[in-house]
Amino acid sequence: MTKATLPVQTFMQEANEVLEALESRLLELEEDPSNQSLIDAVFRSLHTLKGSGEMFGFSALARFTHSFENAYDAVRSGRAQVSQTLIDVSLRSRDHIQRLIDAGTDPEENARLAKLPEGQALLGEIEALLGGPGPAACATEAPAAPAQERRFHLRFTPEESALRNGMRPDLMVTELSLLGTCTIAIDASQVPALEDIDPTASYLAWEIDLVTTHPQQDVEDVFLFAEEESLQIREVATEATLPEVAGPDGRGPVTAVPVLATPQTAPPDRPAPDPSPRAERNPPPRKSDSVRVQSHRLDELMDQLGELVIAQARLNRIAKDLADPTLVGTAEEIERLITGLRDATLSIRMLPMGTVFGKFRRVVRDLSGELGKEVQLVTEGEDTELDKNVIDSLSEPLVHIIRNSVDHGIEALADRRAAGKTDIATVTMSARQAGGEVHVTVSDDGGGLRTDRIRDRAIERGLIPPDNDLSEKQLHQLIFAPGFSTAQTLSSVSGRGVGMDAVRSVIQDLGGSVEVSSTLGKGTDITLRLPLTLAIIEGLLVRVAGQVYVIPLSAVDECVEISATETYRESGRSILTIRNELVPFLDLQTLFGFGTNRARTSHRIVIVRMEKRRVGLVVDEIIGQHQTVIKSLSPFHRDIDGLAGGTILGDGSVALILDPVALVQSTGTATSEAA
Amino acid sequence: MADHMHRSPPAAPNRQTLLTFRLQGEVFALDVARVHEIIDPLPMTRVPRADPFVPGLINVRGSVVPVVGLRQRLGMPPGERTEDTRMVVLEIQLGEDTTKIALEADSVDQVIEIETASIEPVPEIGITWPTGFLAGVAKRDSDLIIVLRAETVFAPVTSHALRAQ
Repeated sequence: MTKATLPVQTFMQEANEVLEALESRLLELEEDPSNQSLIDAVFRSLHTLKGSGEMFGFSALARFTHSFENAYDAVRSGRAQVSQTLIDVSLRSRDHIQRLIDAGTDPEENARLAKLPEGQALLGEIEALLGGPGPAACATEAPAAPAQERRFHLRFTPEESALRNGMRPDLMVTELSLLGTCTIAIDASQVPALEDIDPTASYLAWEIDLVTTHPQQDVEDVFLFAEEESLQIREVATEATLPEVAGPDGRGPVTAVPVLATPQTAPPDRPAPDPSPRAERNPPPRKSDSVRVQSHRLDELMDQLGELVIAQARLNRIAKDLADPTLVGTAEEIERLITGLRDATLSIRMLPMGTVFGKFRRVVRDLSGELGKEVQLVTEGEDTELDKNVIDSLSEPLVHIIRNSVDHGIEALADRRAAGKTDIATVTMSARQAGGEVHVTVSDDGGGLRTDRIRDRAIERGLIPPDNDLSEKQLHQLIFAPGFSTAQTLSSVSGRGVGMDAVRSVIQDLGGSVEVSSTLGKGTDITLRLPLTLAIIEGLLVRVAGQVYVIPLSAVDECVEISATETYRESGRSILTIRNELVPFLDLQTLFGFGTNRARTSHRIVIVRMEKRRVGLVVDEIIGQHQTVIKSLSPFHRDIDGLAGGTILGDGSVALILDPVALVQSTGTATSEAA
Repeated sequence: MADHMHRSPPAAPNRQTLLTFRLQGEVFALDVARVHEIIDPLPMTRVPRADPFVPGLINVRGSVVPVVGLRQRLGMPPGERTEDTRMVVLEIQLGEDTTKIALEADSVDQVIEIETASIEPVPEIGITWPTGFLAGVAKRDSDLIIVLRAETVFAPVTSHALRAQ
């Protein structure tokens, strides 16, 4: 089942990360075109892609990136300038590289890809920006700026299995020699006796002396895909290139040559004298305090944990039935451990929102160009963490929202000026944690929602009757109605009228909700309220018509018990009064179509919070709190309003998890009561 | 997930292996490759507002599995559980999803191997069920075996919609 990760897969994964970093650096560079360290970073990303791509057989990628890299080498050495056009071409080139990575390593396919017109066109544009064909092999050329020559001593000892895994020392050495002058010696001391040799194993080590003008990072990058511990690298003073200092008589001369901290005259087989000088002089080797795990393994772990939680609930029940104090004690201890395990596992799956925000700078930039509106994106709360699966489903809805904001929300320049606003519009994306939820808000400083137009459109589409008296807030909600769109003209960007409807359904599938608030002339805020995690929830167990249901605790405000005479009305609405507040309530049994229970003498009512109001749900019994693993429903039941999923209880029976907001909305109570 | 039933070796290319079961006195058959396991009836949780064809859920070894009402789909009256009643757990393809479902049979007969050629097309008359649900009929001794077409008979559409197609 578990597939060993092939080096090529590792390359593709890491290359994608390099590309992501490249994009965000390019965007930063656009705002700060003279930032030398950004230029260097872009150059390094490209260099890494080129070198490693070549090594793993992505020849089209390597060839293309080479020219791209030349452009940034020219910028780095002051022969070219960062311009809007350059960033533009670079971003498109980045996208092209992405395609080349996705295409894989097939040699024929690569040969075909290298000739594709879009690649050639991009290369043409790059060359034009450089003012003619750039130097063919810039890597071996010293940049125009006088760079300091440095000398590194490397010892490379590949893992015994490295060759079997596709490592190519010859290519690494060739690449290294492009960085500067190399002196290479081979240490064959670990080669075993002939009869013990495994022909596929690697026994050799390389001792390399490299004099280069490149930074140490570049040298390390050559070995990017080798095991970290297989490379030792230290910088040695260039003065040490002076010839041997020992006198002909064997005694060291007492004359002019200064004594070096790490004498280069030390015999080569002596172990490195002391790690401390290396630690001082060079940045410590990038020590990985993180482990790369494929996300499906995390999902498997979560599944197993889910089963464990269910089994534990069963154990608890057995312990309680047997009433054996030792067993009860042990069951409680296991419960405590599982809760700890659950929290630890969930935290592994948490990712910062920044990972999804990053890509929107590109979206906003492209949109501003396309629509001719100047828009800047401000992000806040990038460190807010959210379950990976929630984050993965979030980018599509956020793209819809941002597109709507820029396309419909932000006014044309003339209108902005007339309203006394800044020329450059601002879209803000922010994330913050609030209890068991994360709120993601997209705000724009545009014209706000035009309620008059929403009303006209909704009537025209038959969504509301012409004689309605909906409040402003209720009209705002209509933008989420299926088939609604207020854009005057259909554009390629948005306005197909499916956007906000789709957004709401994705967010509801995630167990969240969407809210909109808007002030005419000031702008619009759209807030997504999302659960911290999808896999396990705290639920309230209730009984309705002999069956157990789970209500997510995050939705529950309070539970009340009221005698039947106090509240029940045979006809019309059912409303109860809690602390002078009128709360409408629904009988779940009636709602589920299981008949009406008239034998009750009192009502147990679970008050749930939905958006800004509260609604009561009448149940037969409130059983208690329960940690629940959500199991998704089959296509047969997935579309039933008000059901969020299923779960298995301690006694082995199946219970349904309710989605109170959707349940109440499906009855229309929320709107009719509010009107 | 472990496979709880010993799968029969695949039949020769021109033969089919079928599981036969009884419902309302008739013998039905399904491709045995789709059968996951056969279990004793389990208590079912009713799903409110569900299509009457898929009225509830059961727990099959930790999986939440929908129970389909084959009687309802074939227009038969509701049946009573007896000591012969079994649940057949199947794996079916619904669009892009593979889903487990369970159906209740009055009794489960046996696994038979028959020549593919001996499965005849559904006769135009004399069969009361929507023909879209059936893959064909086969004869064994004096019994008529009705081979169900799993892709349609368990699809979440009403029989009415299927007839209209």
